[in-house]
Amino acid sequence: MEKEKKKPERKKGFNYMKRRNVEYGFSVISLLIMAPVFIAITVFLVAIPRSEKSEIEKRNLAKVPEFTAESYFSGEYTAGLTEFYDDTVPDRDDFKNVGYNFKSLFGVHTEDEVKVVGHPINVVNKEDSKSSVKSKTSKETSSDKQESKTGKVEETTQSSESAKPEESKEPDEQSEEEPEYQVENGIIVVKQNGHYRALELFGGGTGNNYVNALNRFQQDLGDKVQIYSMIAPLASEYYTPDSYKDHTVNQKETFDSIAERLDDGIISVDIDTVLGQHTDEDIYLRTDHHWSPLGAYYAAQTFAQAAGVDFYDLGTFEKKDIDGFVGTMYAFTGDADIKNDPETFTYYVPDNNDKCTTYYYDTAFGYSGTGNFFNGIGDASNAYLTFMGGDEQIIKVKTNVQNGRKLVIVKDSYGNAIPGYLFKSFEEIYVVDMRYFDLNLVDFIEQNDVTDLLFAMVTYSAVGDNADNLENLRTQAKGKKIVDEALKEED
Amino acid sequence: MVFSSLFFVFFFLAACFLCYYACRSIKAKNVVLVIFSLIFYAWGEPVWVSMLIFSAFVNWGASMLIGKYRGKKIGNFFAGAAIVIDLALLIVFKYSGFIVENINALLNVSIPVPQIVMPIGISFFTFQAVSYIMDCLWETVEPQKKFGRFLLYLSLFPQLVAGPIVRYSVIEKEIENRKATPVDISEGAMRAIIGLSKKVIIANNLYAVVEQFFGSDISGLSFLGTWYGVILYSLYVYFDFSGYSDIAIGLGRMFGFHFNENFNYPFICKTISEFWQRWHISLSSFFRDYLFYAPIFGRPRKYLNLFLVWFCTGLWHGASWNFILWGLYFGVFIFIETLIGKKRLKKWNKIWTHIYSKIIIIIGFGIFYFTDLSQLGQFFVNISGAGMIWHGQSFGDIVTYNSLMNNLFLIIFAIIVSLPVLPKIRYVFDEWGNNKVFAFGKVGGSLVCCALLVICSILMVDNTNNPFLYFRF
Repeated sequence: MEKEKKKPERKKGFNYMKRRNVEYGFSVISLLIMAPVFIAITVFLVAIPRSEKSEIEKRNLAKVPEFTAESYFSGEYTAGLTEFYDDTVPDRDDFKNVGYNFKSLFGVHTEDEVKVVGHPINVVNKEDSKSSVKSKTSKETSSDKQESKTGKVEETTQSSESAKPEESKEPDEQSEEEPEYQVENGIIVVKQNGHYRALELFGGGTGNNYVNALNRFQQDLGDKVQIYSMIAPLASEYYTPDSYKDHTVNQKETFDSIAERLDDGIISVDIDTVLGQHTDEDIYLRTDHHWSPLGAYYAAQTFAQAAGVDFYDLGTFEKKDIDGFVGTMYAFTGDADIKNDPETFTYYVPDNNDKCTTYYYDTAFGYSGTGNFFNGIGDASNAYLTFMGGDEQIIKVKTNVQNGRKLVIVKDSYGNAIPGYLFKSFEEIYVVDMRYFDLNLVDFIEQNDVTDLLFAMVTYSAVGDNADNLENLRTQAKGKKIVDEALKEED
Repeated sequence: MVFSSLFFVFFFLAACFLCYYACRSIKAKNVVLVIFSLIFYAWGEPVWVSMLIFSAFVNWGASMLIGKYRGKKIGNFFAGAAIVIDLALLIVFKYSGFIVENINALLNVSIPVPQIVMPIGISFFTFQAVSYIMDCLWETVEPQKKFGRFLLYLSLFPQLVAGPIVRYSVIEKEIENRKATPVDISEGAMRAIIGLSKKVIIANNLYAVVEQFFGSDISGLSFLGTWYGVILYSLYVYFDFSGYSDIAIGLGRMFGFHFNENFNYPFICKTISEFWQRWHISLSSFFRDYLFYAPIFGRPRKYLNLFLVWFCTGLWHGASWNFILWGLYFGVFIFIETLIGKKRLKKWNKIWTHIYSKIIIIIGFGIFYFTDLSQLGQFFVNISGAGMIWHGQSFGDIVTYNSLMNNLFLIIFAIIVSLPVLPKIRYVFDEWGNNKVFAFGKVGGSLVCCALLVICSILMVDNTNNPFLYFRF
């Protein structure tokens, strides 16, 4: 409708006056059609109570910003108001669902379709990505050789002047030790056995920061504590269709390379192979970025064998279901098929759960109370919160077992599903999130007489940014006395 | 404030309509528009709204002086001074970082690079001001005596931040007296809704695919994947920008203004010269009128001016070498086309000229996209097939195939809408048919627009972040 065509000559006798009147009259009618729609939407947005939470995106929606001179002149205030208005649309999630359904009309749908979200790169043909992994690895070996007496690794690329003594290096700088990697590699949605499954592809990475941090923990803790490294593969390890195998890095190779570089004293728990034997069971959630509690069960079993502790068959657990679960991958992909194909979230409660106490602490180990490990917060919109209710905390589970074994699990959210299977294997289990822990982990382990330290996380955490924080856990807030206020209260 | 947000459409605009149509006199209507325009600008630039007012004041003052000293040499001085101030503001805010970076690189010095955030829309309203001053100097318009009216011209929110670059002469009379008839309001509303749909339904979703292909390292892309990405990007830029212009023109009309067209189905062009007569018309005509025919070193010099025009066209789009390259790239083809001559070009087989122009334009958008020169180099390697021949890149790949299937209807729809299909449909209802057909078209069009508005509103719920591309310039 940009430039209109030249008006052609009208037929003789064309009544211009009449046409003008018709045009005028029907323009009024046109406005009478359009204006009510515009007004109705405006009234709906202005007058109806606003949404506060998005179940799809699993987040609280924007709030009205606070007005200050500073926030106004920086533009934050007005931007915040716009965001508030746009973000808190009444019935927001329903409209989003309608929108995603509309967008599904854009494409051709076939039985074996693969829907692509993000940037899947070809990781096999791409020489650069392969050689960069290799070169980083070899660089790491050479920098290992330069390890100073204090146990600090200096970058080989740094000039000798910049080689600083141990204490001067801020924890933040650790992240600079390893250049950024392409760990995110897009998501594909595939249909398998009649159900849709969203798969995060893996772009590769070396895990240098993970390896370095664990080796230093081993040096600090020595023989007193047994360290285990257990990295969970992403679901794409098993469910990627053949046509996309070139677009996701083989995670087993990454794990093997990490295991090779870990100190001999650290036990690498290979769950990649174990999970690979159960791929026809529901070991991963189809609509979420997590594995399923069943996948975590096989992992916990493998870990228990490695740790030489008792472990009980799944039949001894009480099975519980949350139906109609749609996970985070819906919000990530905006794919209506994921939304319309919910799954059942099945989790397992140990039969000694009543005899165990779960203590909840904040991220600085400030005690906040006891509760059930399977706290019942998890529902169809956020089933994974079933375990401890989230990540931003420290918890301790005191079990009825007495075998002198105390375990610390350093984890991301994948690890949340593990502790429940170990209630009959350890006397005490501490669960620490690698992203939210304000204490010194070495002090924490030593002062609590911990015997076993398990690093349990997904590939992305081990080779991505999260791993940067592991070194911080080792070096931050050193030398403080750690008091467990829960014990005081019990006394 | 971006046009494609619920806040703009269903809060700001709704409030503006309410106040505007409640006013009877043109004076009151103008006051409403100025206030809403300043709020609109201050919403994004709470500090630099002062610069907009300052710029308006300087140019208004200069125009008064030019008017006062008509026919005298001092008029040239005032015009020169105003233009120097305009361009200085533009250079400081938009190009200082780029200039310093290049001086640093060239002379191997390290002058600190100024971290200035460019006020939105500065490239547009500065050019409007320059065109106004030149028109006053050339006596093609009378200087506006009232500051408020001039401020309205410069700050009018529909075209303030992303064009079209409206000449003062176009709305000179309408600022002083205008009437928005039901025909204007209805036509304007339909136009604005179509523009919004172009942005929200087509452009935003095309861009999601473009990002998928070009958003990260492109060295792994296949030959077809690169072509696919850049074709979609070309369509995206067209729908994003022409959608914005449609909204601007439509809203203008709802307030009784008749802006000039900014696009005229550029993809049906047969030559590059024709493309630029159809693409961002207000910018190319600005450079044609104020720079190409400008006397440089005493008289207009055809080829030097041609070079200048395309250098500036490129630079105007952004402070980065790829934009300059983009401008000069088109300049080269236009130069070649002028050497061949219009008449001879017309005799060439239409199919070939279409293919030639589309390839040049599409590759041009690749230059436009990649601000990082090493990525741009990689783009050329990919798109030329060199990557396939020498670096083992594949011809096609599964991701491209799946992406095409995932978006097939959207892409076909976009291509159809980018061709002059709508005017043909309108022709049937408005010109060819009798009054009944006309009335049917009017009612049907209104219903379609209602549906589009509802769809856009629903899709905008998911658009927490969709700034218009042209805000950058």
